[in-house]
Amino acid sequence: MAEGPRRRLRLLATLLIGILLVIVAQLAQVQIVNHRFYKEWRDEQGVRTIVVAEPPRGAIRDRDGHLLAGNAVLYSIEASPPFVVDVEATGAALGPLLHAPAAHIEQLLDSDDKWVKIVSPVSKEVGEQVAGLGLRGITILPLWAREYPEGTLASHVLGFCNDVEGKCFYGVEGFHDALLRPERVEWEGPVDLYSEPIPWAVGHGVLPQRGTDLVLTLDRTVQALVEEELARSVQEYQAEGGTIIVMDPRTFEILALASRPNYDPGRYIDFFSQKPPPFEDPAVSQQYEPGSVFKVLTVAAALDAGLVTLETIYYDPGWIEVGGQVIQNASHAAYGEQTVADILIESLNVGAAWLSTRMGPDVFYRYVQAFGIGKPTGVDLAGEISGQLWLPDDYEHWHDANLGTNAFGQGVAVTPLQMIAALATVANDGARLRPRIVAQRIGPDGTVSILQPVVEAQVISPQTARMLMEVMVRVVEEGVPQARVEGYRVAGKTGTAQIPVPGGYDKEGTITSFVGFGPVPDPRLIILVKLDRPKTSPWASQTAAPAFQRLAARLFVVLDIPPEGMAVAEAAR
Amino acid sequence: MSDFMQWVTHGIKRGRFEMSPRAALYSFALVAGLTLVVALYLVLVSRTAACGRHIEQLQEELFGLQRENEQLEVEIARAGSISRLRERVIELGFVPAEWVEFLLPAAGGP
Repeated sequence: MAEGPRRRLRLLATLLIGILLVIVAQLAQVQIVNHRFYKEWRDEQGVRTIVVAEPPRGAIRDRDGHLLAGNAVLYSIEASPPFVVDVEATGAALGPLLHAPAAHIEQLLDSDDKWVKIVSPVSKEVGEQVAGLGLRGITILPLWAREYPEGTLASHVLGFCNDVEGKCFYGVEGFHDALLRPERVEWEGPVDLYSEPIPWAVGHGVLPQRGTDLVLTLDRTVQALVEEELARSVQEYQAEGGTIIVMDPRTFEILALASRPNYDPGRYIDFFSQKPPPFEDPAVSQQYEPGSVFKVLTVAAALDAGLVTLETIYYDPGWIEVGGQVIQNASHAAYGEQTVADILIESLNVGAAWLSTRMGPDVFYRYVQAFGIGKPTGVDLAGEISGQLWLPDDYEHWHDANLGTNAFGQGVAVTPLQMIAALATVANDGARLRPRIVAQRIGPDGTVSILQPVVEAQVISPQTARMLMEVMVRVVEEGVPQARVEGYRVAGKTGTAQIPVPGGYDKEGTITSFVGFGPVPDPRLIILVKLDRPKTSPWASQTAAPAFQRLAARLFVVLDIPPEGMAVAEAAR
Repeated sequence: MSDFMQWVTHGIKRGRFEMSPRAALYSFALVAGLTLVVALYLVLVSRTAACGRHIEQLQEELFGLQRENEQLEVEIARAGSISRLRERVIELGFVPAEWVEFLLPAAGGP
């Protein structure tokens, strides 16, 4: 080859190799030397962590599947200003739909921010209308809003949720928040200019799971009847408030639980102005001195310990001194010779104090604690308290006189749920179970977990329980006819308690209560009625007992519990 | 051909370029193989992207249906709530049962 072309070829080759070397050097600079810098830059711009659409919170249903707490859809209207093409037209289109001045929306869309929230939340209809406009740069994000389709029904059982903060409080919502809360799944990967995952990197792998659904033991029909009766009683007896609990004593399932004042969990914000706000459930979070209902536990302890029988006779002079304190009957009368059964039938404070002193503190408090007094019942409702039971080893608070006063329900404080659970123990052949409000859990994959009753203790023998039940029937038939339910053998006990205030007891008001169950001998219902400071009468027999009677009469029918004769006839067939 | 290209290539033209049939066959096979691999890769990537987009659409649809389902359930529950039933009962003129009697079906009856 001639020298000229050869030189030119060499020159060309050198030039190409030089260019190639520059490219290789640049690649090495980018890929190796500055690798970390460019990777971070790329990740910053092109990789996003995106929350894969959030699934709904678990639903809460009653025992028949009726929805008590569900989820409605709302939308948040947001925008990415750099991608809005025509600010004026977008503002004009959104203004009327969002009921916001177009100028305000334009101002938001003109901002230098990468992301702005225009209005949140808006209804499902408005959200869908905005989506239908197909505006560039406008995003419609779905949000969940907790809904309570039954309104105020069972508000204290359910609790409520703050959708903005995503936190839930009180009741089942508060207690089982972690279980009801949906799983949040985040996806991290490369995105395009619009922050959308690039198509070949989409497979999220794990789809987010909804929260666990809960099926309660609550029966919404029973709950509605209970709330109706409570509202009526509070109004009729001019009480400040009250609580009614209905349980099945065979399983300790709570069929209804209502308190007044109540609230609408879907509009809980409107109730913050009340002093105090009515969110706390008085059935588990507030305590009261139970009064004479407590005598049932005292008599049960003495019978079960074998210290007395129902026919054991004692002398009632109208007073008894325990630990330096003189205890009198509520009527201030002396009753003379009485039997142990009469302590309940006549509701005698002196007799109850005589029994507790015969037992002594060790036996008496052992039984009282076994009945579940002084500790939470373990029900799955948020905010349950222990009540107040001073024990002899607490030198600061317990005095000898407590042994006498505690025997008739003074100087001891319980929650309504503790009290009904203690009496349900008598109705359940002496076995105390854990009260429960959740019957089933249904996982996101449809797995159903049926929760079984938990036996806490065999407090008294079945024989003692049966004897006590019969005496409690006599209490209703001979002592509190207002609680009698025609056609059914009902057992029960009244409690009229003074309200402790600093320095003594309030002279003005009382807390009246009645705990009753039936039909005896195989009770299927136990009802606690408690009324706070009724003004028409300070006595439980005039307030709580008739409320119990009305409610029990309706519930026996609603729950398909036949009257006594019919039950016998059915059993004989 | 431009003067520049002539200037660049005239030396090459004048050189001898010979290739055996076997080398030509190997070269062709190599080029064809590479083309096939690249084509398969492109097909794979485009199919993956299409599937990814389809999955994304299905997920969107799933979440949309889930939202619709939840909303409908709440609306049904509201329509059948106790307070709504009470209103309907009053509208229909129902009255509370004053006396309920339990009947015992005759033995051997249906």
